[in-house]
Amino acid sequence: MRSRLTVAHPVTEPFDAAATPLLELRGVHAAYETIEVLHGVDIAVPPGSVMALLGPNGAGKSTTLKVIAGLHPPSDGDLVLAGRRVNGASAEDMARAGLCLIPEGRGVFPNLSVREHLRMATYTGTSLSDIEAEAYVRFPPLAKRRSQAAGTLSGGEQQMLAMARAVATRPALLLLDELSMGLAPIVVEDLYARVADIARSGISILVVEQFARTVLGVADVAAIMVQGRISTIGSPNEVAEQLSSAYLGGPP
Amino acid sequence: MIESPDRVAEFKAEVADMRLADPAVSRDRMLLRVGVALLVAGPLLGAVAYLLSHSTENALQQRDAIVVALLGVSLAVVGAALFLRYSVAGFLRFWLARLTYEQKAQTDRLVSAVADVDAVGSEVSSR
Repeated sequence: MRSRLTVAHPVTEPFDAAATPLLELRGVHAAYETIEVLHGVDIAVPPGSVMALLGPNGAGKSTTLKVIAGLHPPSDGDLVLAGRRVNGASAEDMARAGLCLIPEGRGVFPNLSVREHLRMATYTGTSLSDIEAEAYVRFPPLAKRRSQAAGTLSGGEQQMLAMARAVATRPALLLLDELSMGLAPIVVEDLYARVADIARSGISILVVEQFARTVLGVADVAAIMVQGRISTIGSPNEVAEQLSSAYLGGPP
Repeated sequence: MIESPDRVAEFKAEVADMRLADPAVSRDRMLLRVGVALLVAGPLLGAVAYLLSHSTENALQQRDAIVVALLGVSLAVVGAALFLRYSVAGFLRFWLARLTYEQKAQTDRLVSAVADVDAVGSEVSSR
């Protein structure tokens, strides 16, 4: 059965696909103790692009992000950033270079206020007032809640806060893990509109999602991961054609 | 907006400057630990050999005990060599870097002193 999903034109500026990828995985394997979950993953994120990594639950998408962020060591293969093999680099070094992961479950501190979360990004040398100014322009709902504890925000607002804090660190590559988790479809659409806005400012984004419809609308490149391998990679329209077979295991 | 257009170039420079752990360092650490383990195992084998030979009057078994003791000595020697190689090497590297730095600083001081003497000399001769 063919998917009826249609994909809007990418919202980002055209990127140079021939340029050295900002991030590249070459035959990456990863395991939890003796159980291998990634069996040779190959992907490349060109500078200035949005890449969507899709796949069913348990496909290895989040592990892929952990490997990229330096939180889980690859057992084989190469992790290449801007043309340099960086296997073994620590998560701190990756973050310092400009790689920022927003983990599954938002990663906000429930007892800290919105402003205190944004203050965390001042280690980059940017003043809190500048960070707040940008955050409240990108995410207006946060402005009204600046003194409110993050734990009392709605799911969508918490996700916005996580994104605001991440963008304030001036990342070159933003890794988003399951942005839509536990959120209503209308909130997810709103969040992806903001992701598209972030992408327009030149930040490359690798987004991992189970729910493909909205994310394909903002992606330049997409890939489907099944059982620890990339099964399909291409333009969002090409990938949309393969979605149902990838998720349900039927013929394309 | 905070985002600057040259962020990608900046990222590339930061990745190029990133210090990565040298896999050789973990190998050195492993060999140092092997050296320590062999240093401990050698005397233990010696003690076992003593007990073996002491508990029998059979000459053949006592010769076996001698072989075990010699094996213990060999392991201890190999362990000591590994330990010295991989513990002293780190210290020697540091010492060499320090020596190089000291020598460079000393040369700079000499050059500066000679320049001062030359300056005073030329000032005196111009009077």
